Parts: sequence; structure tokens; C-alpha cells
Amino acid sequence: MSNVSTMQDIMRKPAELLYQDELQALIREDQGKIPAGWQMSPQSVLKFIVGGTAGKQVITPKYIGNPRIVEMAIATMVTDRALLLIGEPGTAKSWLSENLAAAIYGNSGLVVQGTAGTTEEQVRYSWNYAMLLAQGPTPEALVKSPIMRAMEEGGIARFEEISRCASEVQDALISILSEKTISIPELGKELNARKGFSVIATANTRDRGVNEMSTALKRRFNMIVLPAPADLETEMEIVKKRVSEIAASYDLQTAVPADEALLKVVTIFRELRSGMTLDKKEKVKSPAGVISTAEAISLLTNSMALAASFGSGDITDEDLAAGLQGAIVKDDDKDRLVWKEYLDNVMKKRGASWRGLYAACKEMNS
Amino acid sequence: MKTARGAGVHIFGVRHLSPAGAYHVADFLDKAQPTAVLIEGPSDATAEIAHLTNVSTKPPVAMLAFTEELPVRTALWPFAAYSPEYQAMLWARKHGAYCAFIDLPSSSVIGLEDIRGSAAASPAGLREDENPDLPALAKATGQAAEGTVVERSGADEGNETTASSLYERIAKISGEPDFDTYWERNFEHNLSPDAYRQTILAYSERMRELTEESEQTSRRGEYAYNAIREAYMCRQIADAIAAGHSPDRIVVVCGAYHASALGDLANAMSDEEMKLLPSRKTKLTLMPYSYLKLSSLTGYGAGNVAPYYFEMMWEHMRRGTLQELPHRYLASVAADLRAAGTHRSTAEVIEAVRFAESLAALHDGLAPTLTDLRDAAKTLLGRGELSVVAESLAKAEVGTAIGSLAEGVSQTPIQEDMNRQLKRLKLEKYKTAVAADLSLDLRENRRVSSKEAAFLDLNRSFWFHRLSLLGIHFVKAKARGEEQAAWAEHWIVQWSPEVEIEVVESNLLGETVETAAAFVLQQRLESCSTIKEASELITAAYECGMIHQMEAGRSALQKLAVQSQNVAEIAEAARKLSQLVRFGGVRRIDTAPLVPLLQQLFLRACLYFYEASQCNDEAAKPMAAAMNEMNHIASEHSGEVDDELWVRELARLSDRDDANPLLSGLACAMLLERGELSAEQCAAEVSRRLSPGIPAELGAGWFEGLALRNRYALLSRMSLWQQLDEYISTLEDEEFKRALVFLRRAFSAFSPKEKTMVAELLGELWGVEPEQAAEIVMDDLKEEEARMLDEINDFDFEDF
Repeated sequence: MSNVSTMQDIMRKPAELLYQDELQALIREDQGKIPAGWQMSPQSVLKFIVGGTAGKQVITPKYIGNPRIVEMAIATMVTDRALLLIGEPGTAKSWLSENLAAAIYGNSGLVVQGTAGTTEEQVRYSWNYAMLLAQGPTPEALVKSPIMRAMEEGGIARFEEISRCASEVQDALISILSEKTISIPELGKELNARKGFSVIATANTRDRGVNEMSTALKRRFNMIVLPAPADLETEMEIVKKRVSEIAASYDLQTAVPADEALLKVVTIFRELRSGMTLDKKEKVKSPAGVISTAEAISLLTNSMALAASFGSGDITDEDLAAGLQGAIVKDDDKDRLVWKEYLDNVMKKRGASWRGLYAACKEMNS
Repeated sequence: MKTARGAGVHIFGVRHLSPAGAYHVADFLDKAQPTAVLIEGPSDATAEIAHLTNVSTKPPVAMLAFTEELPVRTALWPFAAYSPEYQAMLWARKHGAYCAFIDLPSSSVIGLEDIRGSAAASPAGLREDENPDLPALAKATGQAAEGTVVERSGADEGNETTASSLYERIAKISGEPDFDTYWERNFEHNLSPDAYRQTILAYSERMRELTEESEQTSRRGEYAYNAIREAYMCRQIADAIAAGHSPDRIVVVCGAYHASALGDLANAMSDEEMKLLPSRKTKLTLMPYSYLKLSSLTGYGAGNVAPYYFEMMWEHMRRGTLQELPHRYLASVAADLRAAGTHRSTAEVIEAVRFAESLAALHDGLAPTLTDLRDAAKTLLGRGELSVVAESLAKAEVGTAIGSLAEGVSQTPIQEDMNRQLKRLKLEKYKTAVAADLSLDLRENRRVSSKEAAFLDLNRSFWFHRLSLLGIHFVKAKARGEEQAAWAEHWIVQWSPEVEIEVVESNLLGETVETAAAFVLQQRLESCSTIKEASELITAAYECGMIHQMEAGRSALQKLAVQSQNVAEIAEAARKLSQLVRFGGVRRIDTAPLVPLLQQLFLRACLYFYEASQCNDEAAKPMAAAMNEMNHIASEHSGEVDDELWVRELARLSDRDDANPLLSGLACAMLLERGELSAEQCAAEVSRRLSPGIPAELGAGWFEGLALRNRYALLSRMSLWQQLDEYISTLEDEEFKRALVFLRRAFSAFSPKEKTMVAELLGELWGVEPEQAAEIVMDDLKEEEARMLDEINDFDFEDF
């Protein structure tokens, strides 16, 4: 497995380290049939993602929402098809892909980050040019891509934001996914993927049309659309869980925000996202930017950091207001108007418990 | 093989519409070789079994019980090929066993229902069936989920919510997305002998333990109803034994809930008790049914959401190829997608099957359930999007099957009504497959003596319109010609088997053609949201001769009109009303109540009229049509509507320069026609509109509007043409070409004779002899002229 496991002070632990105990307990207690190349049975993977218990170890839920989606993702991996998770920004695509890789393969670190500058070499292989010049093409001079390493080890490679890559880079995946081989003509060799190899890719719905995926590539993926959290309770649960996890890992000296603050933030986000109030009685304008669950999480941790560093250590309405202002009014003057309209039309009428936040937001937005 | 307690009768509990149930029942009957097969169903319908099992009967079919007196109550028992009850009947027929329904007769089912005052008997006539007390069950304990099985969701709307929460819990504990999936996974796929029957028997006992106690206290009506039914069924079983059938050669097929109660015959109903049963006189009939109807029935438990899927399942079970069901389902979805132009490869179908199977494996299932298959279709064939495959899924799940019955078997009240009406209206000879034309004269026939005969054609027309409204394609109206008299109608009449089905289906809407049509109209009125719709519904009610619905339509239209400011829409509705008011007498319907509404609509259109006239050329067309309607109404109903206001509004529009010029011109023409504008005023207006410097769009556009009406009045005014001529000669070349567009359009509606007259008028102005002018106009184009016209053709019309 990866050599980072020895480091204690890494900034963000990968899922397989973060949930090491849970994974070990699941492997220990596993009674199901384990597919070739997997470290646990599909049922255990499901349990790791949606939560449960393994022996005495409590397994925390990693993906909160419709478990059917997780089942479909796992079933895809069982049939050694590549998986493509699609969704709005902040619908836990990468989070789910990381945890799936950690549970199935024990290593979520074989990642290709898709950008406009991603080249075919990053998908296949490149060369250590000093060695190439000195020795000619040798196996030692070969620099393998994460995908190639996953093939070699029978593991899972992750491809983030695949739709941002140029189409020729995307196309490089086609032969890998259908033939499960990479040929290295320079060495006169061919690398065949070992059992267990698969790819989990993610793509953003907002990026659609930037680099439309070819039908040929689409056919090689099982596509699963991740929805935004279905209801207020689910979203609150997600935010609360992630905020406390992040707070713990950053060692923030602030209490995790009270349910009330969470409720307010999530309510505001949901209303702005859906374009109407939660009781569906009033229409609300949506800002131009994305207001995802992930934004709510970062807003709250931000507020916690503000409170810890410059405040009393408790999150105040001013801290929240600052965070909300930054999350909702991104770049646009229009967003400022949208936010103002929301404040006056909706939030102002919400009664005493919202008054403090309203006043703080009002001041911040003026 | 476990026999039932007491008498040793074999009890087989089933879920209705369950392929596995059908499979196991047939299997069990083969083993038990009974001499009597007793089935849960209305005992007075036993005679229908012969018809149900007739070789020419093709399911889905349904048994319908209805009362003849008001209020009409109905109860429905649908059967598909995969209904266990249906398979049991077929077995009995094939093996010559005695077969009977043993539940309360339909007369008592409906009688008891009246007493219970339950809301269950909706007009749709859902099957009234076992109704475990679900709130109590839900409260009782979560054990229900461990080993027991619930038969179906409640038919009673009242406890739907609590019921669903219980089923949700069962599904959740077993890790399934919903109860149907839970049921399918655990019961429909298991074909090992006796598994189905034993589990359901155990379930039944468990279920009753959970429900009975609280049912006795909190839902006594329900409890009593079930107790009565079971006592009755026990009595029927006892009677069968008394008739000489050996108990261990009797098989009872009943709903799972009753399975454990029917073993003990000690509770059988006595003769005295049977006499006490309340009863309403009912009639029973069979009717063809459709999968679409079956799938849309709510509250009738599961197994019916996807009738075609379950039929496929049943077929594969019989052939012993159940494992091929996923292939068939997914391949048929892919085939349908391809037929619709979305290509999906066989490789993708293969992957979809593998995907569905591994989803099933996650739940330790034997085979994919419908939910697994749907998700597989969505993920692989729909590429993640349900909308791509939704239509194909519906085809693979619901299907389009319509059942059929032998001729004459089906006798619903609406069919009787149909026959009665055919006779009354002397239309029996048209009940053939040959299309015939029928012309109706709605006027009174004065040569005959009876009133009925005098208005025969009018009554026929009412009835035909009602049939059309119900979507019964026995009659088809021929398109009306413009010149056709209001009292004449032409129809094509043709009978077909589809008509028969349509008639039977309409029975669910009402017991006679009239009540069904009234129901449909009422429903449409309740959901109608535009003025257009409402006015069409009033017309429909008028054509069908349904005064009551006409009044309802009137108030619906009134409400809608208050909110509308769309003049074109209001004018169109007013036109329809005006027609009804004028020709109402033809159908001998008093249309006077419509007059106030007509006045109101007219007033409203007038008020918003000027505002709406400030529009672009595109919007001016419907407005011009609306103006014509309004003007027509104003002259037809001058005493009834506010004619003066209309004239004032026209004058305002005619005078103002900021409205659409075409509409202003039209208003001017109307005023001229009505004599509201003197010759001098007209001349002044023309010279003002066509004065030099006015852009071509405004000047020529106005003229176009003016020329829309009373052309002879225009042609007789020499001064007008002179003014037009002068105006045109002031235009610059480019402007002239633009003006041509409008003038050309204005004159395009003129007849050749009128055009010649225009040419002669202009010729006169230019000092050309009329004969000479006509010659020039009739002559072929000269080369020079042709070239100039070509140039105009090159003109850039982009602005228009």
C-alpha cells in the first residue's frame, strides 16, 4: 500500500487511513464471498459506505442519502465495469469514489486529476527522459500513470473531473477500458490488467458540453447520477458529520456549531438552490453560483476557524454572516441583489430566532 | 404436506396477481387432485366461472358487480393470466373438479359496505378485500418484518398512510428499497415446492396474532366484516363437505390473510345468521379489462404495477426458464429504444443483465427483481438517465394487452343502456361493421304525431355527441362546411369490437351513457384552466343536451374570464357563446342564461381592447380576428351587449396613432361600414393617415387594415384612391418598395374583378380609358416590367 501511511501529520488523511479501524474490522468480520482482487465482500463495502456494525466496531455512514445509489455503484464494480459518477458540484462524487476505492482496494491514492492540461501520458505512461537518453527505453525508465499502476496491481484508479479533459485524452481510456491492456511499443511489451482493475471517474453536470464525452467512452462506463440531498434532515446530517470530522482533523478549538446554526445555514442553502422556500409557498431567486452541500460544509468550518482565531471560540451570527456572504455572493453584483431580496423577503419574516442572523447578514451585504 | 386444522381441508393462501402463487397453486392442485376447488370470490358469481374459463376468454378480464338502483355501487374483481384464482379455475375445468366461489355474495358485500359506510367503495369500484388492521400492526412490533409477510397494501384509503409506514419498515429492515421489491425477492422467485404455501400459512397466523387484538377494540367494523366473511366461507366449505367431497380432496384458494382462519369450521355461519346478512340487489357481469387499467388501480395491493412484466414472469415460470426473464426484459427495452431511434448495442444489454444480477447478489437474491432491472436499464441503457428509458420501461412493464370475452358474455349496465338507446333512436340497423353515413335534421318533424318521433334526429344528435365525448368511436362527426345550416349534422356510424370495449370501459364512469357523459364533462370542467377550454366545454354540454353541465360551464367560464385580459381569447369565447345564444333554439335548449355572461365577456373585451391594440404586426392578426368577432357580436346582439361602448372604442382606436396601424385602419373601416363616419370625416382621416412623410409601414399598413372590410364602399370613393395615389407618389424609392409589401398584401385578398376595378379607378385618375386600363392589366408582362418586378423580388424583406 502507499508509503504515506507512516506520516502522522499529513494535512488530509485518505479514507483508508481515516477509517483504518473500520476497514480492518470489516475485513475481519467478513463472511461474504470476496470477488477477485477485492479486499472484502460487496456486502461489506456497502456496509462501509452506508454504515452499520462489524463485530463491535461501529461503521459510520460515509454516504448519507439513498443507499440504492451506493448499491448500484458497488454492483458496477462487481461486474468489472468502469463507474462514472455524475452530479452537481458538491454532491459527494469524489468522496464516494475515494471511499469506494478505499473499501474495495484499500488504496484511494491512484488518482488522475482531469484538467484542460491533462495529457495522454498522464493516462497511459511517460518516460524519465534522463534515463531514456542514457539507457534507451527500459522498464526502469518507464514512468507509469496511476491508471497503469492500478492495472498492474489489479486495483482501482480514480479519474477526477473526466469531462474537463480534452477528448483525445478521454479517448485514450477507451482501449484501456475495453481491452484492459496498455501496449508499450517502445519495449515491445504489453501490460495486461490483473483481476480487480477498474476505474472510477467523476464528472460535473455543470461542465457538460465543455468536452462532451464520446459515445464510445460513455458505453464503457456505467453512469450513476448523484442527486442533491433529498431533504433537509439528510442534508443537515451530512453537514454535521463532515463538519465535525474536518474540525477534528484541523484541531479547531471551537465547539461544533449548534444544530440551530446548522439548520439555518442548510435552510438558506436549500431555499436558494431550489428557488423556493421550504414550505413551497414563496418563490426565491437563485444566485448564479453553485450552492452545494460541500459549500455549506466549508462555510461552517470557515466560521469555526473565524470564531477560533479572532472570536470568542463560539460561532456568532456575525461569523455565519461573513461565511454566508462569501458563499452566496461570489463575483456578481446580481448575487448581491439576490441575497438582499432573500434577506428582506424571506429571512426577515422568520421571527425572533432569525433576527440576529438577519441583522448581521444585512449589515454585511450593505 | 400440512393440512388445515379441523376438517383437514387444504387451504392455499395466495397474494392476488402473483405469478409464483399461480405456479404453486397449479402445482399443488396437481398433487392434491381435489374433487372440489373453492375460491375466494363472490359466491353469487360461481356461474361466471364457466365463462371465465371459456376457451375464448382471454385475460385480463374483470368481474363487476353493480346495483341497479341509486345510489349505484360497484365492486370489481380483476383477473390476469397469472392470478392464482384464475389458474385454479382453469385446473378445475380441465380436471372436471367442482369449482365455486365461496366468499360473501356481491349483494352482501355491497350491502355490508353500505352499513359500514366505508369510503372504500369509490366509483372506480376497487376490490373490497382483506384489510388487516394496519395501524395496530404497525404498533404491535417490528417482528412482523422478520418472518412474516404482509399480503397487500390496504384497500382502504383511511389507513393508507399507516399501512405504508409498516410496509416501509418491513422493506427497510430487509434492506430493500420498497415493499414490492421485498415481496418479489422473497416470494416470487422461489419455485421450490410448497415454499410459497407454507410461508404464507405461517404469515397468516402471525399476522392475525398481531392484528386481532387491537382490531377488536380500535377497528371493530373491519374486524366484524372479516369475521362475517370468514364464517361465511367456512359455511361454504362445510357445505361442500356435506355435498360429498372428502375434506382432504377439497382445496381452498384464498387471500393470505384468511388462510389460517378457514381451517376451523366450528365458526361456520348458521342458516339463521345467513338470513340476517344485509343485501342489496346486484347484477354481475364479466368485462374485458386492460393491463393499463390494472396497473393504474391504486390500493389493490402489489403485483399489478407491472402487469406485463408479471405476465412474462408467469410465462417463463411455466416454461421453466425463469432465469431468462432479465434477458427478455432488458432486451425488449433495448429493442424498443432502437425502434425509437436510440441505438443501444447487445453488449450493453449483456452488461445490463450482469449489472442487475450483481445488484440482486448484493441482497442474496436468487434473481434480479423489477427494481434491479429498472436500475440496470436506467444505468446502462439510459446512460444514467431515467428519462431516456422511461417510455420503453412502461412498455415492458405495463404493456397494452386488452382482454376479451366470448360474444354476449359481458353485460354491463351501460351496454344495456346502449342497446336500449339504439332501439329508442331506431339505430339498431347501424350496429354493423359497415360504415354508414347518417344525416340528421335537428328541426321538428311536423309530419309525425308523437313528440318522440318529431325530435328523433335531435335526440340522436344529443346521443351521438355524448358518445363522442366518452371516446366511444361508434359515431364520427363529419367536418362541417361553412355554409352548412345550423340544423343539419352529418355523421359516420360504424360498430366494431373496440367500440364494445370502449362501451364497457365507460361503465366505470357511469351506468348510462348520459350519466357517464355528465361525469366526464364535470371532471373536465373541474380541471379546466383556460377560457378556451371552458367555452368549448359549454359548447359540448350544449351539443350533448346537458343543461346542468352547461350551467356549471357557465360559472367556470365566468370565473376564468375575470382573471383573463387576453382579448383574442375572450372574443373567441364570446363568439362561441353568441352562436349558442343565436342557434340555441335548434336544439330546443334555453340559452338565455348565457346572455349575461356574453355581455360580461363583451364588456371585458372592450375594456382591454385598446390596450391590446398597441401591439406588433404579428400579434395584430389574432387581434384583427377578435375585432371581427366582436363587431359581429355587437351587430348580432345589439340590444343585449353594450354596442355604444364598442363604437366608442373603435373610434378611439381609429383616431389614435400609437396603436397598431393595421388595427386602426380596420377600426376605421368598421366605423365607415356602420355609418359612424361621414364621408368628410373619412376623407380627412385618409389624408391624415396618408400625408406625405408618414413612413410606409404606417401609411400602407393602415390602408391594409382599411381594405380588410367593405371593399365596395372603398371602391365607390374616388377621393380615397386619389389620396392613396398622391401619398404613394410622395414616397422615396426605398420607401415605395416597402409600401409595396403592404399594398400587395392588402390587395391579395381582393377578387380579380375587384382588382380590375381598382386598376380602372387608378386609370381614370391618370387619364387612361377604362378599356385601355383593362387591356394593360390583362396583357402579358413586358420585358422591362418583368425586370423591374425581379428587382423588387431582390428587395431585402428582412425587416418584415
